[in-house]
Amino acid sequence: MKTIQLLGEIIEISNSNLEINSRMQAILNIISHRMEFEEVLVFKLDKDKRLTCSYANEKSRLYPIVNKYRCHIGEGVIGTVAQKRVPQYFNHNDIPPRFGCIFFNELDDVMYNYRSFAFIPVSDDSFLYGVLVVISRSMEGIKDNDKILLAIIAREIGGLLKTNDLLINSKKRISELVTLSELGKILTTNLEPQTILKNTVFTIAKALNAVFASINIDWPIPKMECHRFVYGNLNGSLAEIVEDCEKQAIQQKKTITYEYYNDNNDLQVKKIYSLYSSPILTKNKAIGVLTIGFLKPGKNFYQNEDMLYITTTITNYIANGLENILLSTKLKEVIKELNETQKRVIEQEKFKSLGEMMANIAHEIKNPLVVIGGFTKRLAKKVNLSQTENRYANIIVSEVARLESILNDVLNYVKEPPPILDECNINACIEDILYLFTSDGSWEGIKITKDLDPSLPLILCDVQQMKQVFINMILNSFEAMNGKGEITIQTKNIADDENHPQIMISISDTGGGIDPTIIENIFNPFFTTKEKGTGLGLAISNKIVKNIGGRIEIENIVGKGVTFKIYLPVNKNKNNGEV
Amino acid sequence: MKNKKILIVDDEENIRILFKEELEDEGYAVDLASNGFEAIEKVKNNSYDLVVLDIKIPGIDGIQTLNEIKKINTNQPVILCSAYGEFRQDFSSWASDAYVVKSADTKELKQTIAKILTQNG
Ligand SMILES: Nc1ncnc2c1ncn2[C@@H]1O[C@H](COP(=O)(O)OP(=O)(O)OP(=O)(O)O)[C@@H](O)[C@H]1O
Ligand SMILES: [Mg+2]
Repeated sequence: MKTIQLLGEIIEISNSNLEINSRMQAILNIISHRMEFEEVLVFKLDKDKRLTCSYANEKSRLYPIVNKYRCHIGEGVIGTVAQKRVPQYFNHNDIPPRFGCIFFNELDDVMYNYRSFAFIPVSDDSFLYGVLVVISRSMEGIKDNDKILLAIIAREIGGLLKTNDLLINSKKRISELVTLSELGKILTTNLEPQTILKNTVFTIAKALNAVFASINIDWPIPKMECHRFVYGNLNGSLAEIVEDCEKQAIQQKKTITYEYYNDNNDLQVKKIYSLYSSPILTKNKAIGVLTIGFLKPGKNFYQNEDMLYITTTITNYIANGLENILLSTKLKEVIKELNETQKRVIEQEKFKSLGEMMANIAHEIKNPLVVIGGFTKRLAKKVNLSQTENRYANIIVSEVARLESILNDVLNYVKEPPPILDECNINACIEDILYLFTSDGSWEGIKITKDLDPSLPLILCDVQQMKQVFINMILNSFEAMNGKGEITIQTKNIADDENHPQIMISISDTGGGIDPTIIENIFNPFFTTKEKGTGLGLAISNKIVKNIGGRIEIENIVGKGVTFKIYLPVNKNKNNGEV
Repeated sequence: MKNKKILIVDDEENIRILFKEELEDEGYAVDLASNGFEAIEKVKNNSYDLVVLDIKIPGIDGIQTLNEIKKINTNQPVILCSAYGEFRQDFSSWASDAYVVKSADTKELKQTIAKILTQNG
């Protein structure tokens, strides 16, 4: 009756909802209490095929001593029982057995009183889960009844450990899946790469109960200086160690692990870290390293092997996502640049044709308009018109006047004074223009040399108008060279004249120069030697430069090329700051 | 104002006719040229009290024509007349006496002509 009651209690406990540790503890306590064993211990087989004393009855005196040891299968009594899966029993007459890998003399104090020993394999039909050890002071050895009972109990414990292993495995699996799906979500968001990386390390650290997670990106991310993203504490000597681990992981192209004993601080808080570094590989190029750090012993239920596997899984999982993000950021940058270039090219076209457009409108629309309006007036004056007819004529005349005034507004392009005066960085202005020209394929044969004076002061002018001047001149040079030659652009701060500080911008080409007989006409509006030229480029440029108190000089070497030198005054009161 | 002789230089025929008739109504004698070369020839061979010169004309541009005319006769009054108002402020730097923006309303042109002719007696 006692036996059945005991088994019933044990089964009840093992089926209860308690935590595995509590259930084991309760079962071992009952065995100890009811069957009168001083020591009831369970050595559990771990992943590394070692046996560790994982559970014991509450009053066990051996547990604190033996739980430090791990023994191999086949080693000592415990190892042998585990290997052969056959129970072994001893009493005080037997030669003191080796207690697993542990020698009895180490345990002398405790073992002194113990007389009976049973070592029972904890297994089911196929697997071994550990070894149950019971010890008593009884001089009689283990009774036969107890041997049977212990065998049954060992089976029950086996079942318990098995379901628990399954449970831990599925928990691990679930946690991995949750982590991966979280990461998946983060990696597919539309956020900035920085934000995504920060969220990634946060999720990894949280999901794995790590003290920190860090990703070090080895990839140029636009507009970003810092390439390390960390969640948790990572500083001092630990940071240095992590860097070492990262290097190793990159070198070996695989996940590496490292145990780090941090005893810099006071001994009370001596910490052991296990670190896992895994290279983030894409097509065999490492774009960064993920490092996860745990405190030992930690709350995570992962073993070393698991962690290597998990870290590798996570890095593999995020590698592609990260690469996509980094590539798409790069792509976004490129697209943005392209858009800007396109915009600028369109602007350039506008600039180039603005003069033409104005002149064309002036002549194609305005001349006929003048004729219509002018003759309508004459008609009304000459012929004796009826009141109605006269009214019609007046309507035409006033509508023409309206159109004319609209045209005049449009046509008067370079207004005086210049509309938007601002401090302008001429060097930057030139860089902008050159960028826009050099991104055009037809400029391939043109070599552009820049010599921009970094001490160039800011100039008070209308930036858009100044750009138009440079564009006109550079286009003239380009057009003079038939697709092949050299354009040299120089800026210079001519500060020597105290009273009239000025800057000089020179634009030289190798386009053969200007025929001396026409050179005095090139600033005339509508003077052109080009079939499709309007002849407004230099006229308008000259006007713009004069408007802000500057001047243009020409150095013409016939047969070789032209240099246009633009002198602009420096507004002394307004700017002392250098570019 | 009577018997003053004016040369109109413009490449658009209808403009020439309009200006000619408008000025003739004012009592001026009007002569016409359709490009710079013709204008220079006419100035060489005739004496005009005033030249009304378009800037954008075929052959040689208006400013060159202006310079040539001034070479022939430094005191020859010239009014620049253009559809294009851009260079309204710059006429004096080109040795012209005035700058008029072409318009169906010929009042400004007529007033400017009258003013310059009275100035020059
Ligand atoms: N760098 C240069 N080399 C040789 N000739 C030049 C150069 N720059 C200007 N020219 C001459 O001066 C003339 C006037 O130039 P400008 O820029 O005013 O008008 P355009 O280039 O002919 O027409 P657009 O209105 O399209 O600019 C040109 O037709 C060309 O004969
Ligand atoms: Mg040009």
